[in-house]
Amino acid sequence: MAPLLEAISIGKTYPGGTVANDGVNLTIQAGEVHAVVGENGAGKSTLMKILFGIEQHDRGELRLDGKPIRFANPREAIDNGIGMVFQHFSLVPSFSVYENVVLGSEPRNGIKFDRQKAIADVRALSEKFRLAVDPLPPVGQLPVGQQQRVEILKALYRDARILILDEPTAVLAPQEVEELFVAVRALVAQGRTVIFIAHKLPEVLEISDRITVMRAGKTVGSVNARDVTEDSLATMMVGREIALRVDRAGARGPLACEVKNLKIDAENGSTIAKDLSLKVHAGEILGLVGVEGNGQAELLETIAGLRPAADGVIALDGADLNDLSVLQRRQLGVASIPEDRIARGLATGASIAENLVATRLSDKRFVRNGLLDLKAIKANALALIEQFSVRAGGPNVAVGTLSGGNMQKIVVARELSEQPKLLLVNQPTRGVDLGATQFIWKSLTKARDGGAAVLLSSADLSELLALSDRLVVFYRGKIVAAFVNSDDLTAETLGTYMLGLNTQDPETMRAALQ
Amino acid sequence: MIELLMTVFSATFFVTVIRTTTPLLFATLGGLISDLSGALNVALEGMMLIAALTAVIVSVYAPWYVAVLSGISAGAMLGALMAFFHLRMKADIILVGFAVNILATGGTVFALAQATGGDKGTSINLPSKGVPSVDLSFLEAIPVIGRTLKSLLSGHSILSWLAVLLVFAVWYFLYRTPYGLWLRGVGEYPAAPEAAGIPVNKVRAWSLIASGALAGIGGAQLAMFNYIGFTRDMTAGRGFIALGAVLLGARHPVGAMLAALLFGVFEALAIVMPNLFNWIPGELIQTIPFAVTALALVLFSYRAQRALQRRNAAKA
Repeated sequence: MAPLLEAISIGKTYPGGTVANDGVNLTIQAGEVHAVVGENGAGKSTLMKILFGIEQHDRGELRLDGKPIRFANPREAIDNGIGMVFQHFSLVPSFSVYENVVLGSEPRNGIKFDRQKAIADVRALSEKFRLAVDPLPPVGQLPVGQQQRVEILKALYRDARILILDEPTAVLAPQEVEELFVAVRALVAQGRTVIFIAHKLPEVLEISDRITVMRAGKTVGSVNARDVTEDSLATMMVGREIALRVDRAGARGPLACEVKNLKIDAENGSTIAKDLSLKVHAGEILGLVGVEGNGQAELLETIAGLRPAADGVIALDGADLNDLSVLQRRQLGVASIPEDRIARGLATGASIAENLVATRLSDKRFVRNGLLDLKAIKANALALIEQFSVRAGGPNVAVGTLSGGNMQKIVVARELSEQPKLLLVNQPTRGVDLGATQFIWKSLTKARDGGAAVLLSSADLSELLALSDRLVVFYRGKIVAAFVNSDDLTAETLGTYMLGLNTQDPETMRAALQ
Repeated sequence: MIELLMTVFSATFFVTVIRTTTPLLFATLGGLISDLSGALNVALEGMMLIAALTAVIVSVYAPWYVAVLSGISAGAMLGALMAFFHLRMKADIILVGFAVNILATGGTVFALAQATGGDKGTSINLPSKGVPSVDLSFLEAIPVIGRTLKSLLSGHSILSWLAVLLVFAVWYFLYRTPYGLWLRGVGEYPAAPEAAGIPVNKVRAWSLIASGALAGIGGAQLAMFNYIGFTRDMTAGRGFIALGAVLLGARHPVGAMLAALLFGVFEALAIVMPNLFNWIPGELIQTIPFAVTALALVLFSYRAQRALQRRNAAKA
């Protein structure tokens, strides 16, 4: 029997001359969950865009049900039963769930939009595929996990036989990932086929039947999920052995940063976090654990000076930071790698060189008599590009054209080009490929060994467990538990505190908070 | 003061309000459609002006309805022009809009001079026609309220009735038809309709064309009913007031109608007040509609922000 969807030596060269796909082969059998993995820039997204008709291949052949086919636009792909859920959702925030689902293929009654039928259709669909979501509320009010369901429903409403999910777990909390997997299994049980693009290997191994690995625009091979391990898969992806392990800190230094009874309010006056007290020593990494939205991000923003403290003390080497501006804090040795590199970490339209000196415009080396020293700025950029092995066309390339991993490296390079005293890090490797992750982890531990006190927040528990020397758990704006990291500490243990299912006795907590 | 109140509560004042509101209302509906599709149409002013002159000149040679239709097509063509430059040539919509306005200010004077044989101020020597008013004298036959009804409802431009009809037609279109859903989706988050296979640029182009056509009827009403004939710069900022009315009406057709009515009332006041208060300089009175526009927008945005804060506080 012919496979459901087949890509045979697909090639795609972008107008700029970038060869995104070069002899890519992909065979999807009906009713399987097929993962496509690879580093950023490996060509996964381009391949998916070709399958969904956003881009057209220049070489090779696509076959659907054994027949050659070519999609000129997404509409044709949709008509042929292919649906795609992008990482950035395509939903109109003020429209209700059902309006979003039927948008573009509305049930009609004369010239009238038949709302009742739309609502009924969406209800039936969400029951059939066990994607529970209320059709009536506006999409903008739903949590991300539910919005993703709406996206999936959208594809199913158009009768997608093949559903392409582009890094669906990147935006989800661990619990939501579980729910997504339940839905994916339900889809497959009803005869649909799922193509799953991913980074996180444990998830890939859990959900998929077959895995195709891509590297540098080529397919490295396809394997059965049960025949491989995380390590062998990682080696296939990167093409060399990589160890995602880092050395723990040696002896920690003196107390660097102390936060005492900190209270943080939102813009509208409600309290985000209170009674936050913690200490970070030079040469250690303190991990901030918690489901997103429990106050970790706000704590980092408050220490960085991006958000006012409502009450309490933040001290660095004994000096109170509270009344200082962001710039003054930076001059004292605070560095910050923000959560959203595109919105807050970088000016995407500006060049690499410009971004790398953006925080240091009072530095005599780069600015003399109020004029930029372009030579020094360029030299600085070249040195950092080399040192942080950023893959880019040169120092004058706009940052926005880089891949996620390379963008993040620019942020890391800027913040770590001078040894900081206090380093604030939020989601350092979100949407970043394995190679770059490894590099960023190493950079963080290097800064730590250089004597930085590091506060690290991440949605990825394995990252926190790998890097942190101590961990504190946030729940509803409070620190509810603290641990000294050890091999016995597991993500499951942390999870029970993160969800508020477990409480730690005050003595243990105080001991680990010192 | 009493005189002013007497005037304001008279049937003639009501008729004046309807007359001043009608062109504004068309332009506001036009602004609403393009605004909801994601393009702020700052060219409403120029579109009205060009449509007004077109309608006046055509009405010299053709029946009134042909003149109105030509005003509509002039507006629609300007909308298509904007769509071409904005969507195809990727020019900034605001700049394109201002280009249309500048073209309108200069172009209408030039065309007027050509059509009248040299008069650059008015079309007074052109025998242009007007839009007929709708005579509802038969209402008088109704006992008790008949006279009042007649004085309130009779004598309006046929286009005023069309305007009321259009408010509901636009509402129905936007909120009850699939195409309205497309238009609003395109305006709010174009990536969504695009992914659903909706031709986003086509929706935008048609919105600008419809916007121009509506502004065009507004222009025709202005030069063929409110005034008979064309005067240079006769739109006098109505296109911009209409943009304000779109926001003030909370981007909803019925709200737009109420906002247009509010501005219409003040414009009508500016018309009747000089007769009552001859000690106030007429120029000062004529600034009332514009001052009210600015004031209303400030108040509106203040209220919207307050509401947002309250909602956030309630959520937290």
